[in-house]
Amino acid sequence: MNRDTSPFRPASTGASPTPKHASLTASTNLRYSLTRKSIYDRHLNRTKTSELSKSAFAFLFGEMVQHAQKKVYGVQDLEKKLNQHGYAVGQRFLELLLWREGRTAKRETRILGILQFISHSLYRAIFQKPADTLEKVRENEDEYMISDNDPLVNSYISVPKEMSQLNCAAFIAGIIEAVLDGHCFPAKVTAHTAPSDMWPGRTVFLIKFEPEVLEREGLRHGST
Amino acid sequence: MSSTSRARLGEEVWKTRTDKINAELVTLTYGSVVAQLCKDLDGDYAEVNKQLDKMGYNIGLRLIEDFLAKSNMQQKCANFRDTADVISKVGFKMFLNITPTIANWSSDSKQFSLMFDENPLADFVELPDDGKAQAELWYSNMLCGVIRGALEMVQMQVDAHFVNDVLRGHDTTEMRISLVRYIDDEMPADDE
Amino acid sequence: MVVFSFFIFDRHCECIYLRQWLDATTPSPAQPLSRPVTASSAATNTTSAVEKPPAGNKLSMAEQAKLVFGVIFSLRNMVKKLCGPDDSFLCYRTGQYKLHYYETITSLRFVMLTDIRTENLKSSLHQIYVNLYVEYVVKNPLSPVEHPGGEGVNNEMFELGIDSFVRTIP
Repeated sequence: MNRDTSPFRPASTGASPTPKHASLTASTNLRYSLTRKSIYDRHLNRTKTSELSKSAFAFLFGEMVQHAQKKVYGVQDLEKKLNQHGYAVGQRFLELLLWREGRTAKRETRILGILQFISHSLYRAIFQKPADTLEKVRENEDEYMISDNDPLVNSYISVPKEMSQLNCAAFIAGIIEAVLDGHCFPAKVTAHTAPSDMWPGRTVFLIKFEPEVLEREGLRHGST
Repeated sequence: MSSTSRARLGEEVWKTRTDKINAELVTLTYGSVVAQLCKDLDGDYAEVNKQLDKMGYNIGLRLIEDFLAKSNMQQKCANFRDTADVISKVGFKMFLNITPTIANWSSDSKQFSLMFDENPLADFVELPDDGKAQAELWYSNMLCGVIRGALEMVQMQVDAHFVNDVLRGHDTTEMRISLVRYIDDEMPADDE
Repeated sequence: MVVFSFFIFDRHCECIYLRQWLDATTPSPAQPLSRPVTASSAATNTTSAVEKPPAGNKLSMAEQAKLVFGVIFSLRNMVKKLCGPDDSFLCYRTGQYKLHYYETITSLRFVMLTDIRTENLKSSLHQIYVNLYVEYVVKNPLSPVEHPGGEGVNNEMFELGIDSFVRTIP
């Protein structure tokens, strides 16, 4: 286990003369087990390929939805809550993903680049499959769509008629939003049900970038 | 059913009858739930524990059906020792791909501990350094609720709580489970 | 094979789902109702106009459910008293119909009424539990954990599933 690869350690360790563990013990009052390894001793890749049951996730996600439902006013509010949960997950996944890419990690500077990163690398890492399509919204310069024919989080959800606007994939929208934010592409991401004949649960993530993103894209890369 | 055949059943269900997904998605989602509760409840960790247990209880009421459907168990356990064995070798295996060790049986066979060498919910986790989380928060408390809810559905009232957690700096993660009573069949309401 | 009706009772002895395709009390050949009837809250809505027993001796669905539960509950208890807690009854038949029974360890009771030529349906009822009830009701986060008055069982996916399943029963 190589401690130096941990992203939790401060970046500037090189010149510091302090002993290796000093910074950790001096700044914290947390207790650590003397016989057990702490999270800093475990390799971050340990769980890269580990799996849990889809049901375990479904139950956890379901209870998250139920719990969120208790304190909201209407469908929009509920989707916002789910988005926030997704956001928290997305931030951390991004960190893990980039760290794992190691030296090959590249900073995306173009809109298309970051969207491809999301629909391929990110999607594959989380859901073991790429997103199904990535498109530009023709009428609106600042909007893009990523579609998923069968979002994992909706596997067991049968939306009652009185809530027909609800799409719990707002959770995934939150993940996407966090990753865009993390790359300095601030945007609003929303999930919409867009069934096709083959895929009744098909969901489109509508990505609307903030104006400064388009402005930057224009300056850097020319808008023509 | 013997203990080894239960281990085999757990293994088989996990390998052949379980759809699987990325473990980190579960870990991070659970983290988000706990973090949100800590925020909503303003660091009242005792209340967070309670909420986690409640959410787990609701999950347990549902999860037991999936457990029975997948494991194809059609008969109740003969005694509480069997129940413990099934929880560890089939239940935890099926959902979290771990097999906590059963230990510390009380002499009347009504209490035991589950010792977690691995806890996928707590990967990546360090409790907040606020001087009280390590003394008050049971991060994985949802698991207690799950067991309580699931066993209630098969007519066992139990008490489940953590007594040790490596996240608190203890050397083990240990959950204590005690059988309170077996629940009788409910009777239909009398006709008017 | 002809399926007349289907019931699910929960551990609180409440009918949480019932569905009728054909009326078992109609002398053969049974007449199909104009459309399948679902009553999710049959047990509590005994006074609603739709479920008033039609003229004659016919019972409303809610009353049927109550009777059916009474019968299976007594039968099941009798069987357990006679042969021990691990035994359970599978079906009984009359001159007109056959009642099939399956109970889970969680005290969910699945009951199906069919014509008398139908083979034992225990495994079919088990399949309904595993493939439809668990997948579409239990795992559906928008459906409540328990179903007082049948709330949440009769969602679209479950209904469709039941329909097509009943058609495939040999």
